[in-house]
Amino acid sequence: MSQTVQIPNVCEFMTRHLLDVFDTMLSIKATLQPAASLPHMSDRVTGCVGFAGESVTGAVYVHFPTPLANHVAGSMLGLPPAELGETEVNDVVGEASNMLTGGLKSWLCDSGAECAMSTPAIIRGSSFAIEPVPDVQREWLIFDCGIDKVIVEIHIKLD
Amino acid sequence: MAIKILSVDDSRTIRLIVGKAFKPYEVAVIEAANGEEGLATAAREKPDLIILDVTMPVMDGVTMLTKLKEDEALKAIPVIMLTAESGRENVLQIAKLGVRDYLVKPFKEDQLLEKAGRCITLVKRPVLQPA
Repeated sequence: MSQTVQIPNVCEFMTRHLLDVFDTMLSIKATLQPAASLPHMSDRVTGCVGFAGESVTGAVYVHFPTPLANHVAGSMLGLPPAELGETEVNDVVGEASNMLTGGLKSWLCDSGAECAMSTPAIIRGSSFAIEPVPDVQREWLIFDCGIDKVIVEIHIKLD
Repeated sequence: MAIKILSVDDSRTIRLIVGKAFKPYEVAVIEAANGEEGLATAAREKPDLIILDVTMPVMDGVTMLTKLKEDEALKAIPVIMLTAESGRENVLQIAKLGVRDYLVKPFKEDQLLEKAGRCITLVKRPVLQPA
């Protein structure tokens, strides 16, 4: 595996890629926040995409506070709030998660860590926590999106 | 007859974005949610261009494209692949299948229109003037 596939480089790539995805697709100018303290995550819509290969496995969870997810879905789809259901919001969050993980997957493959990725899944709720399995490292990236914060949780195991 | 573009993507979000991009043009955008539906719609509607996602349930974009290229009646339809994966291997695999072009997500409307404009002639809809 290439030397570039190290956890700090993964986080650096994800930060750059998220800023690009949010700006291009969601019209959001996000900024990375210092990871001093993790904000309280209440009611939220979380997109999850897994990736797996011989030398790398993991998943990316993108946590959107529900009001922010609704706002983003409305502006992206050009739909008024009344026409916006869970299906539409889930689809936007799933697609954003898919683009983020797709970029990471490509970066990993180009760095010598071949892997495949899953289709996105959505988790909705307010009182859930995702725990990594043993030997899997967890990284948090917190982004200020103006209205609220989006949290990206990366679970990754490098062999 | 209006130009027909078939958008094949499991994400309604992407289908809506594609539809929105072509709204100012004399284009009818038809939709399918996976490769199987896409093949059936392509056979029925004979679109002038297909914008095809790679990763989809039921039948993925690569399988649909392979079947499309095996079909004498459909193989000449230009295809632009949409992919969330920009990796070298992925792009090479897509190129080998005979796509006209590809676009990596995230993308801007302008990029999609530019690539589509290389395959079909895009004509602006007349702007209605107030009476």
